[in-house]
Amino acid sequence: MTHTLHRRGTAESLSEDYPMLCLTAMGINDDGHIPKLQEFLRIALRHDPKNMGSITKGSMFHYKPEEVIAAARGIVHAVFDNPQAVTEVLKELKEADLGMSVVVSGIFEPVEECCKKAGLKRHTVNFSLGIWGKTEKLPPDDILEVTTMCGHGLVSANLVNSVVEEIKSGARTPEDAAKELTPHCACGIFNPARAAKLLAAMAKT
Amino acid sequence: MRIDEEQCIACELCVPYCPMGAIRMDNVAVIDQDECVDCGVCLRTGVCPVDCIIFEPAPWPRSLRAVFSDPTTEHKETGIAGRGTEEMKTNEVTGRFKRGWVGMGLEFGRPGTGTRFRDVDKASQALAKLGVQFEPKNPVTFLMEDVKTGKIKEEVLDEKVLSAIIECIFPIEKLEDILTAVKEVSKEVDTVFSVECINRAEPDGSFPLEKVLADLGIPHYINGKQNVGLGRPLAGGGN
Repeated sequence: MTHTLHRRGTAESLSEDYPMLCLTAMGINDDGHIPKLQEFLRIALRHDPKNMGSITKGSMFHYKPEEVIAAARGIVHAVFDNPQAVTEVLKELKEADLGMSVVVSGIFEPVEECCKKAGLKRHTVNFSLGIWGKTEKLPPDDILEVTTMCGHGLVSANLVNSVVEEIKSGARTPEDAAKELTPHCACGIFNPARAAKLLAAMAKT
Repeated sequence: MRIDEEQCIACELCVPYCPMGAIRMDNVAVIDQDECVDCGVCLRTGVCPVDCIIFEPAPWPRSLRAVFSDPTTEHKETGIAGRGTEEMKTNEVTGRFKRGWVGMGLEFGRPGTGTRFRDVDKASQALAKLGVQFEPKNPVTFLMEDVKTGKIKEEVLDEKVLSAIIECIFPIEKLEDILTAVKEVSKEVDTVFSVECINRAEPDGSFPLEKVLADLGIPHYINGKQNVGLGRPLAGGGN
């Protein structure tokens, strides 16, 4: 379930993309875990997440944040667009001592720096070695930068092309187009702020 | 997924939403049943103005399509929604990936191409020959006839899913041989797969895997997934 690992993009673009997960280890620390996941989401909400959600409910682009919080179970997600917010969230999580696992995806150096500022050390890391196999089947890189923000692959490349054409024709703004794509990611890890910038750039080409 | 052709008004609105590009127009919208992975995106999006998109749970083995492709569906065997397991996300609690070991994931069909289990089978058999330990709670492992051979059950090989992940562990010394084998598999498959490697930090905060990959000339992305160690380990059970 490595749904936040293989996000593609330039260093500049990825520097505005930090999905965070909070989850229980099934069968080990899941007794009474729901209030702890809810507290994670409340902490995240105080730091202007660009999205948040859970697979059991959906994202804040489908439901109000309080509805997402109420339905928390198993694993929950929030996405930030700057390392300062990640640092502040980590500091609050350390203070809250929820005992739940927390994973931050993003460029290695800034995330390590966020951990240091929060008094944390990275325990385990998952490295992406990229895409192998019949890569000629892939859509262009600029499309992949958008679609890989939903690791479950639910945001279609054809839909990205479609909304880019709508931006070009003036039928949608990039922000509105990003909001069209966001709810298809059932977990709430799609970053609409980053998507809007990527779509705007695609519409100019 | 299928479309009620009597109800469809041929508005074409649903066509771009399909991640597999399996919806085409033939007077009305039609879903290619062989390419459809039952992910449910077309239905969940609510785009159809006359509600003519239908999902009817399929019998085995087609039932695998929905459980591997729709992350809101839970695997009965693992109790996990989605395609894989907690892997490194809870490693500070479970101690699953220990120092000196590497966890590997091969995410077939990702990003965006989908995969048949026939291609997954090529990789799982190649890995089994090198003695990897497949993750017992992973849904793909459940589909193997025998974890010693990595052979996936014959009756599921032609089923197509949005993605399927092979998860395994092995000592870091085996990494070169295993990546060589995976590279050979990559020439034989009719899809793409994303490759990932998991490593536990050393006490000084370094990750030995980075040096091994650099020595092998294999790059990794500048971004990755980082467990920040906030989970509470089991007494004596964590790593």
